[in-house]
Amino acid sequence: MNYDIYSHFPVLAVMLYFVGAFIVTLIGKRRTARNIVAGAVMLISLALLLALVGPVMLDGEIITYWMGDWEPAAGYAIGIAIEVDALSLFFGLLAAIAVALAGFYSFKYITQDDANGPFFTLFLMLSGGVMGILLSGDLFNIYVMLEVMTFAAVGLTAFRTWNPNAREAAFKYLVVGSIGSSCILLGIALVYAQCHTLNLAQISAILPGNLNPTTILAFALLFAGFGCKSFMFPFQPIAADAHGAAPSSVSVLISGVFTKTGVYGIIRVSYFLFRTMGLTSIQTMVVFIGCLSMFVCVTMALNQHDFKRLLAFHSISQIGYILTALGLCTGIGIAGGLYHAINHTLFKGLLFLVAGSVLYGTGTTYLEKLGGLARKMPQTAALFMIGALSISGIPPFNGFASKWMIYQATFEKAAETGSIGYALVTVVCVVTSVLTLASFVKVGQSVFFGQLPLEYENVRETPLSMRIPMWIMAALCVITGLFPEQMIQYVIGPASAAVLNVPAYIDSAMGAGYAALTMADYSYLAEPVISFIGFWDPVSWLVLFAIVMCAITLASLMGKRSRGAVTLADDERHAVFFGGEAAEYSHVAGADLFWGFKHNLRGYLGFMSRAHSGVTNDYVIWGVCALAVITAYCFIFI
Amino acid sequence: MFKKLIDSSAARSPWLYHINAGSCNGCDIELVALLTPRYDVERLGFKLAGTPRHADIVVVTGPVTAQSKDRVLRTIDQVPDPKVIVTLGSCPRSCNVFRGSYSVVGPLDKYVPIDVSIAGCTPKPEAIIDGLALAAQILKEKRGAR
Amino acid sequence: MYLVYILIFPGLLFSTVFGLYLAGIDRKVVARMQKRTGPPVLQPAYDFFKLLGKETIVPGGAARRTFLIAPYIGLASLIVTVLFIPIGGLQAFGGMADMVVILYLITIPSLAMIFGGSASASPYAGVGVSRSMVAIMAYELPLILVLLAVGKAAGVNAVTFSLEQVTLYQQFFGSFLFDWRLIPAALAMLLVIPCEVGAHPFDVGEAETEICEGPLVEYSGAPLAVFKLSHAVKMFVMTALFTALFLGGISTGMLWLDVVIAIVICTVVTLLCMTLLHAVTARLKVEQMFKFFWTVVSGLALVSLLLVWFVN
Repeated sequence: MNYDIYSHFPVLAVMLYFVGAFIVTLIGKRRTARNIVAGAVMLISLALLLALVGPVMLDGEIITYWMGDWEPAAGYAIGIAIEVDALSLFFGLLAAIAVALAGFYSFKYITQDDANGPFFTLFLMLSGGVMGILLSGDLFNIYVMLEVMTFAAVGLTAFRTWNPNAREAAFKYLVVGSIGSSCILLGIALVYAQCHTLNLAQISAILPGNLNPTTILAFALLFAGFGCKSFMFPFQPIAADAHGAAPSSVSVLISGVFTKTGVYGIIRVSYFLFRTMGLTSIQTMVVFIGCLSMFVCVTMALNQHDFKRLLAFHSISQIGYILTALGLCTGIGIAGGLYHAINHTLFKGLLFLVAGSVLYGTGTTYLEKLGGLARKMPQTAALFMIGALSISGIPPFNGFASKWMIYQATFEKAAETGSIGYALVTVVCVVTSVLTLASFVKVGQSVFFGQLPLEYENVRETPLSMRIPMWIMAALCVITGLFPEQMIQYVIGPASAAVLNVPAYIDSAMGAGYAALTMADYSYLAEPVISFIGFWDPVSWLVLFAIVMCAITLASLMGKRSRGAVTLADDERHAVFFGGEAAEYSHVAGADLFWGFKHNLRGYLGFMSRAHSGVTNDYVIWGVCALAVITAYCFIFI
Repeated sequence: MFKKLIDSSAARSPWLYHINAGSCNGCDIELVALLTPRYDVERLGFKLAGTPRHADIVVVTGPVTAQSKDRVLRTIDQVPDPKVIVTLGSCPRSCNVFRGSYSVVGPLDKYVPIDVSIAGCTPKPEAIIDGLALAAQILKEKRGAR
Repeated sequence: MYLVYILIFPGLLFSTVFGLYLAGIDRKVVARMQKRTGPPVLQPAYDFFKLLGKETIVPGGAARRTFLIAPYIGLASLIVTVLFIPIGGLQAFGGMADMVVILYLITIPSLAMIFGGSASASPYAGVGVSRSMVAIMAYELPLILVLLAVGKAAGVNAVTFSLEQVTLYQQFFGSFLFDWRLIPAALAMLLVIPCEVGAHPFDVGEAETEICEGPLVEYSGAPLAVFKLSHAVKMFVMTALFTALFLGGISTGMLWLDVVIAIVICTVVTLLCMTLLHAVTARLKVEQMFKFFWTVVSGLALVSLLLVWFVN
């Protein structure tokens, strides 16, 4: 089949964002025109990527596009390539969906800010940068796009310039983000020195067999750099600051999309460029970092007083899941990790938008100040419940489906390798999951349930234009959770096969047969099979649940006449029981809700709180130490 | 069928909520004594509930003091229907020796209708059981009356 | 046939009736151990029906819909969970959910209670929510360790999450309770059951004397009845899970006899882990409970996991 027409789509999808950013700047202050341009850009890009689903995901085609038609000559790829395999498209689609929903949400959301002119310029720059990274087939191009993305993100973090926290967060972000970028740049330089090419496919063909000190250093630098972009442990404190200070729709992008580019980078580096993921030592390292990110961040989240900071820590915790799963290097592990990547973008996006709605309605996201909002914002509360249950992995929502795959992957890996360490990884995953649940019970109790403070008597439901994107995300959460098999067959399967199918990626860019000639070990890292050691059938569960629910309803209808009445009123009889006193405002909520838990872990939690000092220098030291440790580890164990 | 089951259960599982309206603690101790192996009212289905929302029978002890009046009345009000109000000991019925004190605003029947009153200072456990059994029957009647 | 499974056995009707019976036995035997006569075994059923006839007061400050719907969601999800657990070799809906899924499914009822209580806007409920959640955090760690130990033991060379396979393995090689490697895990599981059900001495979340039954403080009438019923059904679910994990595969060849044996075992397990503990212990403080579960109980489970892993 001829896919010529499709081959132009990826580059259009990237360019449209940048062109849109430019036009939006030209339009200036006319809000409607600006919104129309931004909306059109986001929708068209999404449509272009959706059009690629057929050829790339279903037919397994890999689309290669050479900018300016500079095709490889004499076995060297000089031109800039755009290469879209199922993995790129998977992350690209994810990004496009999140960008579109967050963008539509922002139309109304940022009207509260007075200087909202540059918002969409930066927003579209960020989106374009992300898309550029995900679809590019050229290592240096990835770096350029990474810089575009990072600086747009820094600008958006400081968007609310009246807020000193935002300015501080942006500064920290800039400094630590630059460390990551520098690492990547240095890594790219070393790779270029070794391979004399920047094309991803060609490097993947040449590099893997030839690990020498230079390439090991390059690997360590690239890994740490992309790790910094994904905010893995120990880069997580900046994420917390940045997510907390940025407008919510931007947090959606930073947590749902920006961090995914880091994950994508790690996949490309360790599965494609260096193929180091086949080594047990690297697997151990990635899984270890994943587990640390998971556990440290979830305990930090339990400590937070601010809704958005809490969500920020949870994003890194979820990134920890993804890294852990990817580090296993088994078919089901990769599939579980990628599945969790989708789910994380959806439910975390939803939760950030909910936090934004709370901020929009009440003017604060501080947990101790809020309460009882479910009465005033019932739909937002329902959306929060969907998001919270999804992220805590309660069946039948999507978080469960992917976490369950990750548990299986880790435990199966444990049985395969005979190492009990991986079984403990499963335990860490489950404990993290229940701690996640706990922190969302905390949010539920503090923000949406409990007593309503007097000053929020006049709070109104979120405007419709903000609710629609949230409902779409919630619907996607439910759908991706209910149909895991279809998801795996049509979306996750092709993407995770692409992770392991390096030769096809190389051949598509460099011409058929190139991989077989040059690659040292022409084989899969792991068989791309996805097999389960347990079963979970959400649709049947839902059917059974519906039948039981019907039966209960029927029984309760039968006894309706003999049952006691249900009475609602606002009088003293219906006030809450307060030990006989007249009910007064006494809302049990906030960061110290689970003191029985915190009391036992006070040593650890105190240490962690002190470690997250908020001082940029400390975070830089953390980052540099991490880089040093990773480099040393790579040199010792590769 | 449901009606029958509910009606027949009404008297079999009366849950008590105990309010102390300034009692000398004598009646309270006797009430708790009912839960001991010797008297064991749980065999009749009685149980002390932790909150008025779960209660069927409100047991009030003590002459209603000025401080406790609002609290007592509010708590009684918060018990869901059908409910039975039982006074335990002489105090809530007649204010007993505290009658005329500046701080006592009882007896209780000035404010709410009382269904069963168990007299004595303090009543014998057997008398309390008898009174509570009567209260359970009234509970059933109230249920039927609705 | 499936409808019979769902509605009669082991679904809605059987699980509720048997749950209420277990709760009744529990109360009766506790009373006998304390030298009291105790309530009739049918007492929980009386309580349930009485509560149905009471007025339901919805607090003025509550999030009403959540408050009223939560108990029903909890009960329904619990009954669906029953269908996934093999009872005496009878597994109504086998290939739909494995052990880990069940681990998550049994948190839904607790969660329903937490969010229902949270929606009632009572400060007592707030404290109860906090404590119930700490209880969930406490038992989840040992429970997953127990499940992994069993999954490893039943998987021979590989591992399995499937309850069906666990049962089959026990049919051939004898029950896990008599496998010395898994005895610590069985003990840990016996301690997890009362915590998950919210029974003495781990009922910190629903302590009636300190925090007015925590999340249930504002509930009255039918929703309260449904919560009490869920509590009873939970006893059944957890003991059935224990039976499936550690005493599965007791097979006489006749299905009805197997089921009867399973029911008897469920009762015995209830008596052992809930009644005995209830009668001889007082309620722990929340931080004591958490510490106990993350050290002693998890330690037991971990010992089992290590034994299963390294000793053949």
